[in-house]
Amino acid sequence: MWRLWLLRAAQLIGSLVGAVVLATLLATASHPSHGVSSFLSAFLAKLLAVLSGDFGQSATTGASAMTAALTAFPATLQLLLAGVIVALLLGIPLGVFLSASRTLRAAAPLMQIIAATPVFVAALALIWIAVRVLDWNETSQASALSWAGLMRSADWSTALRAFALPALTVGAAGAASVQLSIRRAAVRAWSAPYRNGLRMMGLGTFDIDLRYAVPDVVAALLRDAGEIALALISAAAVAEWVFHRDGAAVLFLKSAAFGDWNVAAAILFVFAVIKLVAQFVCLAVSWFVAPDEGV
Amino acid sequence: MSAAEDIWSGPRESRLRVVISAIGLSGAGFIAVIVALSDVIARAPAGAVKVGPPSHVPDVMYAFGTDVLGRDILSETVHALAVTFSSGLVAAAIAIVVGAVAGFAAVRAPLRLGVALRGIVGVLGALPVLLLAIVVVGLTSHEFAPIAAGLAASPSIFNRSFDRAMRLARSRHAEYARATGIPASTLLRRDLVYEVRGNFINVAGRAFASTTIALATLSFLGFGAMPPHADLGLMIASARANYLELWWPALFPALALILLILFARLAAALDEGEPP
Repeated sequence: MWRLWLLRAAQLIGSLVGAVVLATLLATASHPSHGVSSFLSAFLAKLLAVLSGDFGQSATTGASAMTAALTAFPATLQLLLAGVIVALLLGIPLGVFLSASRTLRAAAPLMQIIAATPVFVAALALIWIAVRVLDWNETSQASALSWAGLMRSADWSTALRAFALPALTVGAAGAASVQLSIRRAAVRAWSAPYRNGLRMMGLGTFDIDLRYAVPDVVAALLRDAGEIALALISAAAVAEWVFHRDGAAVLFLKSAAFGDWNVAAAILFVFAVIKLVAQFVCLAVSWFVAPDEGV
Repeated sequence: MSAAEDIWSGPRESRLRVVISAIGLSGAGFIAVIVALSDVIARAPAGAVKVGPPSHVPDVMYAFGTDVLGRDILSETVHALAVTFSSGLVAAAIAIVVGAVAGFAAVRAPLRLGVALRGIVGVLGALPVLLLAIVVVGLTSHEFAPIAAGLAASPSIFNRSFDRAMRLARSRHAEYARATGIPASTLLRRDLVYEVRGNFINVAGRAFASTTIALATLSFLGFGAMPPHADLGLMIASARANYLELWWPALFPALALILLILFARLAAALDEGEPP
């Protein structure tokens, strides 16, 4: 098994190196170069700088690109974390419900309607419902949630409302991935050949599910963490834009629009690291949950 | 075994899959007819202002209402649907060639080139499709949005295709073929023919759905279609300024977009191998 883990760790390191090279290529695009040799020398110089954590300076503000990116990341991480919680709260019950029986499994196509809704359409629909149906203050969507703001704010509900809609938007996108992962794993676990053997040994359905099926499903969900992270990051970019939150994702959009590739490269690199590390860590946890399923 | 086979196993589910796929294909065909006849169905040319009274609520005369400039929303939606549909087709074609076909062929590449390619594409797969597409548009121009969406969707399709082809390459029929001296190129052609025959609609439906979502989102964020060639994403973005009061200029393009993606996903026979 340790050989497999060594391979997985090597894959992670290889992917991280690939992410560094990709970010460097993108950052080098901001410097005009004439000819292949000029580009290569610019790329190598940039690669050395990136390896020491220096992505250069922002073309629009002149500040350090990495510092600009890291300053914007707390708001995005906050949104991503809230999104993970919402995704699990919505996705797990939905996934379990839709895979509970053959009849309910047949109702799964209804999920396609939700899955076919782009994130920005869902976000606009949520704002419309909040303002027109729930009578929430329209302007409250513009402000972001921060601990400092919460400590200052006399009206906690307004501050939380401002955070609830983007978190719901991101969480709904993650929930679609979570329920799909659970449905796939649950169907595999509930049709596994070992169930008949365990029944013949006298174990009840509840015991079999609790001791064998649930760990398998949880492990499968953890193994899909990378894909779920991608769905959440993508949704966060749209949610920050729609809800006017100043996070890393919206900074990335602005940087790409203005050709500020140093900042865009730094943000893209951090997103890739988040996805790759989350995937590796969750894979490790999945092995502890269900060692027989492998990694 | 694909994810769809995991979830939809059993004869009853198989029949249901066929029915749902037929519904998806019929819906996609209906939209294709609307797109082909868009100039006939739409009463006004794209972007024509003062076609009706400004901000007119949907009624018998103006089925989808009009916007603040008096543009007929039904006509605008039909024109935008045509733009989105054709851009989606281009993007899906690129995703299929660069993702699915290349992933399939990479397995047979010499000197473990395929494994190296899989590693490189794996790094690109660590980034969301939307952000990758934005990078490509940012480095080129807005006109390249369909190509950007197609290229950005390719890594995940490549990886799926590569893994599937790897299983086929290690299967029993491939071993027999190699043992009897059948060339690798012949084996590749045989597998590709079977793959296209068995899975093309699934792969194409998924690719079309994911690239259409990416394209519409690109336009909504200002990285895709530009006026006067508005697509559905740009229409929704334009209507956003006052959609809390004037809901119809945003609602109908949004419904058209959802239906387009839904039919593509249903045509893929609920093969949910990719994240939504």
